Amino acid sequence: MKQQIRSERIRESYWKIQHPSGLTLLLYPMEGFSSAYAMMTTDYGSVDLTFRTDSSVPFTQIPAGTAHFLEHKMFENKDGDAFAKYAATGASANAFTSFDKTSYLFGCADQFEESLRILLEFVSTPYFTPQTVSKEQGIIGQEIKMYDDNPDWRVLFNLLKAIYVHHPIAIDIAGTVESIAQITADSLYETYRAFYNLHNMVLAVAGNFSPDVVIRIADQVLSPAPKLQLERAVVDEPEQVAQKRIEQKFPVAAPMFCLGLKIRPSAPREGVVNSVIQEIVNEVLAGDASGLYRRLYDQGLINATFDSEADVGKDFAAVIFSGESKDPDRAAQEIMKEIERLQSQGIDPEAFARSKKAVYGRYVRMLNRPDSIANAMTSAYFSGLDLYDLLDIVADATLEQAQKRLAEDYRTDCAALSVISPLDETAKE
Amino acid sequence: MSDVMKRVKIGDGVHFSTIIDPKFKSNRISVNLLLPLEEATAADRAIVPFLLRLRYRDCPDFTRLNEKLCDLYGAAVDGDVRKYGAYQIVNLSVQALDDRYTIDQAPLVQECTQLACGMLFDPYLENGLFSQTDVQLERQNLIDTIESEFNDKREYAIGKCMSILFGDSPMAVKKYGSRERAAQITPESATQAYRDLLRRAAVEILFLGCGDPSAAQQIFADRFAEIARSPIAYDGSLPVQKAEKVRSVREEMDVAQGKLVMGFRTGEVRTPDDVNAMKMMAALYGGTPFSRLFQHVREKLSLCYYCAARYDKSSGILMVDSGVETENEPKAREEILHQLSVLQQGEFPQEELASTILTMTNALKSTVDTLSGLENWYLTQILSGYVESPLENVEKISRITKQEIQQAAAKITLDTVFFLAAKKEAQDQ
Repeated sequence: MKQQIRSERIRESYWKIQHPSGLTLLLYPMEGFSSAYAMMTTDYGSVDLTFRTDSSVPFTQIPAGTAHFLEHKMFENKDGDAFAKYAATGASANAFTSFDKTSYLFGCADQFEESLRILLEFVSTPYFTPQTVSKEQGIIGQEIKMYDDNPDWRVLFNLLKAIYVHHPIAIDIAGTVESIAQITADSLYETYRAFYNLHNMVLAVAGNFSPDVVIRIADQVLSPAPKLQLERAVVDEPEQVAQKRIEQKFPVAAPMFCLGLKIRPSAPREGVVNSVIQEIVNEVLAGDASGLYRRLYDQGLINATFDSEADVGKDFAAVIFSGESKDPDRAAQEIMKEIERLQSQGIDPEAFARSKKAVYGRYVRMLNRPDSIANAMTSAYFSGLDLYDLLDIVADATLEQAQKRLAEDYRTDCAALSVISPLDETAKE
Repeated sequence: MSDVMKRVKIGDGVHFSTIIDPKFKSNRISVNLLLPLEEATAADRAIVPFLLRLRYRDCPDFTRLNEKLCDLYGAAVDGDVRKYGAYQIVNLSVQALDDRYTIDQAPLVQECTQLACGMLFDPYLENGLFSQTDVQLERQNLIDTIESEFNDKREYAIGKCMSILFGDSPMAVKKYGSRERAAQITPESATQAYRDLLRRAAVEILFLGCGDPSAAQQIFADRFAEIARSPIAYDGSLPVQKAEKVRSVREEMDVAQGKLVMGFRTGEVRTPDDVNAMKMMAALYGGTPFSRLFQHVREKLSLCYYCAARYDKSSGILMVDSGVETENEPKAREEILHQLSVLQQGEFPQEELASTILTMTNALKSTVDTLSGLENWYLTQILSGYVESPLENVEKISRITKQEIQQAAAKITLDTVFFLAAKKEAQDQ
């Protein structure tokens, strides 16, 4: 099944194809570009710790960090390492694991066909042995420690710990040295079979390539996957946060903070629509042109690192404000006060129109690059949307939608503050 | 084809370069002001772009300015400082959608040019000086930025190694200057630094994107013609130095993982061919996921998550860095040096060089697909005094031989080893 997805707004289009193997192909050829970027993604990330593929048996619980461990191990096959194979094509390859996705990608200007073959082959061929698993425990152990030393990472994960009572999103994506010690070759095979079913995956390609080549390689490499039977355990997460404030001392020069507002999860499509509107609300509330930003900046309570985001996943959503501040508690109070003021006084229509334009520009600029197009096509797809829907959501956003999100999602009684503060005697020099 | 840059002189020491390709959806104007790095003036110059970014004569309010940027579809204005060898570069840039991609066909190119010129030539001054309030605010932000290097331990360790290696040469001066100097910035000193930049800096303006640059070129030419210029003669020759003895410095901190940084001097690198050989040697050594360092220090010995080599032609330095367990530091150091001797002896297979050439070729060809890739490439080309397109560079590097790699490896000498070790109690946690 082949479907052309078009945008009248920017006069571009791409192809959405249901491959007989079960894999969905999203193909976006771009005229004038020299490089192509391909990304194969499975709908499986660090939070998927409890699942079953047979409804008559109990759920399986896997160790934290398994998705990320699997990502590392997929690169190794019986006949060698995928990086070594890419070395023969010159492609620049990588992979990453997020809360709810695992992606394998490469970018190249030449030998696209050969690199795509490598990608499809290694992602569809699991190969794990006790020796290779044990070697990886050493490497990932160092990766975990690297993140332990990263204050930007710590301030965010501490916030998630404060926001979520039961949800595994609060556990580091790579797991812990202890949890990954429990991973075995067998547990990796079991997890692979459950989540790396082609019906659970998508291949997104953007840039300089021919769609026919992608279809031909997929025909040659992929065999039809069995019907997907995957059930994830539902996390019973309360609406309230686990704790209002969390603090860690760290060797940093200035305090850092993350203020998070916990949002009731909604169905995937609705969640993404909401998050786009939240992005506009954030711009009104705390963007560079807002009164709040000005007040905080003039008082030295924030600096250029200040930022906001609207995060959304299968069963979690949050709005987060972050940055460095000499007084994180005061900065957080000011943000909450401004939320409450806007809620009672309403959003200024002019500020809304301006913020909408700024967000629209951001979304169109994203379509400048093959890599960001492939990423955006993928995340839109898993939420049941097409890439251009995002542009339409912004362009069609109304003041009423924004007021509604502000009222329902920005609940100051469901907020948590994470602070990283300097050690008492931080040796700066 | 975006592969070709046109560079013209539009004033005394002022050049305007254009790279135009209809495939892009945005335009970017980047103004770069170059002066030699000096300890005494670095901080005063570094604050200038942040003051210019805050407001200007025709838009004397920070919030109004940001509102205006929102109305220009989220046009992004950035001020920052870069460093190239012994030069400090003050940068001001504006990026916005092209007129064709706005909802209402707004004339963004023209508006953004006026904005950039307004900020650069007509700053907001009170009695001929930057405002006391602005200077106070941005001085504190600059100090925060300088101190935040300490937050990222990998960057901190690299910075430490560089400081020791460069000693009292101008290259040791950090791009934002020192904390001590930043604390002494006054409206007078900042205004003087600004005037000095306009009068004496070598100026490189780049216009990249899909729009028509001719109006922008004319406006910049007219504005610079109004200034009595006496620009510096920029010297793009490469530093040539050998290490005399190895300096080893160790520091302890409350971190989870040790950070090892080894700084090498690259010696006799004078011609573009020498630079190409050194660049390829560094990539083969530690620039790809199949490089010597990745294969051996990470994959074979399982000592680390990252172990990478970077070559900076502007300072004549090659640097290797790796995050390792504190007790593994001697092992990692030994293997890093061993792999260098493998390159010096030519004991690596020809295929590794062929693969490295392929990877670099792909990366070069992909450079032309993003505005940032093009900007970095061409600015560096201009500064090194030898301009070629990425495709022309592909021609050159594809002819590099094993012998040239060996010769390049033989030129490098180890100068400084810096190790940030985990404190005993931190390790035991």
